[in-house]
Amino acid sequence: MTEAKKEGKNEGFEPNIVAFCCNWCSYAGADLAGVSRFQYPPNIRVIRVMCSGRVDPSFIMKALKNGADGVIVTGCHIGDCHYISGNEYTKERFERLHSIIIKQLGVNPKRVRLEWVSASEGKRFAEVITEFTNDIKKLGPFKR
Amino acid sequence: MIIITEIEKKKDSKDIVNDIDSYLSKIYDPNLRNLLRKCYQCGTCSGVCQLSKVQKFTPSRIIEMILEGFENRVIESGVLWDCIMCNSCLQNCPEDVNFADLVRMAKYKMRNIEDQNPEEYIAHKGIYTTLSEIMSESNLQPERTLDWVPKECKITESGKIMYYVGCLPFFKFEFENIDSIATSTLKLICQIEKEPIVVLKEESCCGHDLYWGQGKFEPFIELAKKNLKMFENAGISTIITACAECYRTLKVDYSNLFEDFDKKFEVQHIIEYIYNSWKENKIEFKNPEQTSEPIQFTFHDPCRLSRFLPKSNNIIHKVREIFNHLEKIGYKFNEMEHSKENSLCCGVSSWMNCNERSKALRYKRLSEAKAAGTKVVTSCPKCIMHLSCLKDDFEEFGSMEILDFSEFLVNLVNVIDGNEKKEEEK
Repeated sequence: MTEAKKEGKNEGFEPNIVAFCCNWCSYAGADLAGVSRFQYPPNIRVIRVMCSGRVDPSFIMKALKNGADGVIVTGCHIGDCHYISGNEYTKERFERLHSIIIKQLGVNPKRVRLEWVSASEGKRFAEVITEFTNDIKKLGPFKR
Repeated sequence: MIIITEIEKKKDSKDIVNDIDSYLSKIYDPNLRNLLRKCYQCGTCSGVCQLSKVQKFTPSRIIEMILEGFENRVIESGVLWDCIMCNSCLQNCPEDVNFADLVRMAKYKMRNIEDQNPEEYIAHKGIYTTLSEIMSESNLQPERTLDWVPKECKITESGKIMYYVGCLPFFKFEFENIDSIATSTLKLICQIEKEPIVVLKEESCCGHDLYWGQGKFEPFIELAKKNLKMFENAGISTIITACAECYRTLKVDYSNLFEDFDKKFEVQHIIEYIYNSWKENKIEFKNPEQTSEPIQFTFHDPCRLSRFLPKSNNIIHKVREIFNHLEKIGYKFNEMEHSKENSLCCGVSSWMNCNERSKALRYKRLSEAKAAGTKVVTSCPKCIMHLSCLKDDFEEFGSMEILDFSEFLVNLVNVIDGNEKKEEEK
């Protein structure tokens, strides 16, 4: 029995979500979502990083350990990275993190997610966050 | 479902708090002075300390400061986070003052009372120790992939003999091919044993790194309890491991925690297991590709096997007996300059302090190994990772081969089963 397989018991549960946003695309995208007044759930805590390549897998594991229920990393679309290839490293690292660590640890892979959001996609940012928050709400808290 | 509600109930009541406390009292003594009373300042520890050769670190001085009532100053300065826990000092101490044990308890104290958080000391940004901590969560059950299990080996979920893999499948994240240790160990055990071997998907970390490296005793106790439950459910009587750290933790530290652990389970290192099978005439050593010129090789003693075990345990002599026997099949065993109890450290233990100083220690060790032979055999996955890391950085070590004991022996072992096989056929 893995964690969080029961549904229906999570009513009224407000998850804590850590969102790593890259400075050049996703953070600006989040900004645009705010300026354009797109609504999204207030469960995320945004951490600005200069590039999604800055996000070490250990940051994600530490976030989960210290009480986050979900972690989302957002960066520029592939090919648009301000530092040319930073997000390609992120992508590769994420695949390894999922296939080797998250899977074997018995953590639901839906709790850790990688998305590309550009600076002009304020609407998309709001959508991604809403979707992710709903997913985590269904899964329930990570620690019980 | 039941599992989760049960735990919730327990956590609400006061029992579980006392439970942890009672375990804690077995591994933690807040009065640091008690440990050191016997010290008469001969200074041997500062002389033999491996770390003192690359940076200023003087155990005898630290001991004196604690005895004279400057415990706070030692703890505040954070100097104890530097200790690499190689136990050389205890090995040479005339009064058996256990400095590593002191450091372990002081780390707990520094973390909980002084609120120190040694993030910058932890190697790999702490990812592997974080994993151990996440595994200690009671509602989380690891689901390991068993893709490293060789096809010819039969595994099962309950039985007598278990192979405790340890964290190898997780280390694959940064170290390619590290799970070949697990593959060859399982191959060796499967060859010798007739019945299928227990390899569990939900196996947790043994907690060694949290216990020694970071002073996080509560998650360690949780992990130990989880593992004990897992062993009991699978109905195991023998646990075999290929990792020196797991061996020490299961053999010594778990028996300290749980009184009847060593009665219920027999913990064996793969070296002991091979040695016993060899002495019982179950196996012989054969070399399919024997060359006229003997292959020179050497053995690096991991600190957990040479210095962290009770003195009655002679595993390092057993391994040498096997190696000396291999001379008949074209392998020449050479000792390094420092060997057995005096062997040098690979520089890092419990994922702490991977820096230029520990690299210097590793360089020393590998230079000694190079003088003794091209193949270096060791029996601790961490030593392999650290030494291979250095090997890749320096061209001069490029020709060397660093192997685990099981990887080294996997093609050299031949099972003697002549009579029994005939009986089965009839």
